[in-house]
Amino acid sequence: MLVLVIGDLHIPQRNHSLPAKFKKLLVPGKIQHILCTGNLCTKETFDYLKTLASDVHIVKGDFDENLNYPELKVVTVGQFRIGLCHGHQVVPWGDTESLAIVQRQLDVDIMISGHTHRFEAFEHEGRFYVNPGSATGAFSPISSAGVQPSFLLMDIQSSTVVTYVYQLIDGEVKVERIEYKKPVAAAS
Amino acid sequence: SEMNKLWVRMQHQGHSREREKREKERQELKILVGTNLVRLSQLDSINVNTFKKVVLPGILEQIVSCKDAIAQEYLMECIIQVFPDEFHLETLNGFLKACADVQQNVNIKNIIIGLIGRLAQFAERDPTGIPEDVQLFDVFSDKTAEIIQNRSEMPVHSIVALQVALVNLALRCYPTRSDFVDKVLETTADVFSGINLEPLEYNSETCKELLKLLKIPIDSYNNVCKILELPHFSALLDYCDLNSKKLISSYILQNALDNETLIDSEERVDSVLHLVSSLVMDDDSDSQGAKVTEDPEDFLEEQWLMARFIDLLKSEELDNQYIILNMAKKHFVKGGPRRIEFTLTPLVFAAYSLATRYAATRESDDKWDKKCQKIFQFCSQTIMILSKADLSELPLRLYLHGVLVASETKFDKAEGFAYDFISQAFTLYEEEISDSKAQLAAITLIMSTVERARCFGEENHETLRTQCAVASSKLLKKPDQSRAVALCSHLFWSSKPQDGGRRIERC
Repeated sequence: MLVLVIGDLHIPQRNHSLPAKFKKLLVPGKIQHILCTGNLCTKETFDYLKTLASDVHIVKGDFDENLNYPELKVVTVGQFRIGLCHGHQVVPWGDTESLAIVQRQLDVDIMISGHTHRFEAFEHEGRFYVNPGSATGAFSPISSAGVQPSFLLMDIQSSTVVTYVYQLIDGEVKVERIEYKKPVAAAS
Repeated sequence: SEMNKLWVRMQHQGHSREREKREKERQELKILVGTNLVRLSQLDSINVNTFKKVVLPGILEQIVSCKDAIAQEYLMECIIQVFPDEFHLETLNGFLKACADVQQNVNIKNIIIGLIGRLAQFAERDPTGIPEDVQLFDVFSDKTAEIIQNRSEMPVHSIVALQVALVNLALRCYPTRSDFVDKVLETTADVFSGINLEPLEYNSETCKELLKLLKIPIDSYNNVCKILELPHFSALLDYCDLNSKKLISSYILQNALDNETLIDSEERVDSVLHLVSSLVMDDDSDSQGAKVTEDPEDFLEEQWLMARFIDLLKSEELDNQYIILNMAKKHFVKGGPRRIEFTLTPLVFAAYSLATRYAATRESDDKWDKKCQKIFQFCSQTIMILSKADLSELPLRLYLHGVLVASETKFDKAEGFAYDFISQAFTLYEEEISDSKAQLAAITLIMSTVERARCFGEENHETLRTQCAVASSKLLKKPDQSRAVALCSHLFWSSKPQDGGRRIERC
């Protein structure tokens, strides 16, 4: 089952569109679910995501136009409970412990957040934390070193999820592969 | 040549008979005459010179003198179809002169357009096939002008259709001669001004032809900057009604976005924003009141398109970029309160991004501090415009972003600007944001910004965290209060732990 994890596009406030090479990769019909961390910012971009897959889940970013998106969301795909949150509400931003609070609150196996415009994927206390970064490489004041455009594609099969990280570095698309297995004993 | 003379006589007879008989016979004769022409063209003995000196003048003389519009039209078309392009190239002047001389109600426009089309195709296929002395464009341009002058009843849309054909010719055969394209535009504009044309109605024939005319260079060059170099483009655009202007403007913006055409100089930014001014601001001259019937969804799409286009107004050179942003702002502030939230916002972000880039040059550019200060003044003024237009959430967030940029770039006097920005944010929070959900969101943002910022000295930080604590405790709903205060505690951790403990107790 393919899940697209994407966010922080900031169109049109900070960028005019997805990088052309990413657009070519994102073909309708191949992806089953889309989990979006927010900050699209307009309906145009939301409609675009809907053309890629009909099941689109989105949470509210600090610049999203649509005030009705939820702050937090939980989506179950296969055996995984996945939590979705933009991350600007989590103080300090990008802090693992603070994100862990949200993870426990939602009781999810995979915690997805955004806002920092920096790709992350790590395990913490047996759970998987990911940040798809910004798909357009949008400017972020807290990422002054520059932002590489990136997004994630998760392939969920039974109790394993293989995450493919797509990054645009120096004009070329580079892909990395990360595996996470759900811990067998779901104790604690 | 004997055959020629025989044929010419036959044709002459054919014409006189046409005038006497009924329609059916006319049809048959039409075919007969046409066939004769085909026969003629198949004669081996005819080469270019005979055609030029004997055949064509003879035929043309017959056509003109018979004064029968239907016959003339048919025969002219026949000639074009039947004889090879090489012949036509040699005899253009003569042929076009005959065109000028035929009856007034002959649809000469189609004939000429057909001829231009054929020769354009020929020229594209085989550019060397055109003889040296045949300046295709000039010939057509001059002769069509004559023809238009001679035919006072020619409807305007036909004139424009002819210009469309000419511009196609120019672009296909002489792609480097943008002055040809401009000449066509100039001619059209002159025609319009000569007849004192009223602003065109949206769906009229003329309007459709004019839109075609304007779109052709846009599509052909795929480089908006080249359009800016055609002086008469905007003159022509002025003859359109508001809807058409918007259509062409959107078309231009979309073309730039599709081709990622950067607008990288102050002059170009100025030109292009003038050109698309129908989208940049309200058109006061629009007497039909079209703006009243504007569709809100269309308006949104228009402004999103414009906002995306702003991303193309950039230059690699940082100083140039600053000048570009200033020029853009000059245009967009005229957009009025409806538009500025879409157009000024990208400018502010671009400015913040520029400041970050300047900070990266601190080793090589000793003026970088002052440049950052200027940028922050620019942002401050711009955000102020937004907040004066009754927006509050957006300016608040823009101020907060400014604080972070100041914090990261650490230019000289950054703390001053940052403190000013955060105070503005607080003011907006206290005075403008009344919805409790929005309040929680806003104060959370403010606090998380203060937490992240590293530019405040102890005194300022003390003031800010106190403000945050007070604001948190004043929130309407208890759960919100506790959530906010809990977040606020982070601010105290970043400073001194003992103080933090005391504060948290007080909350």
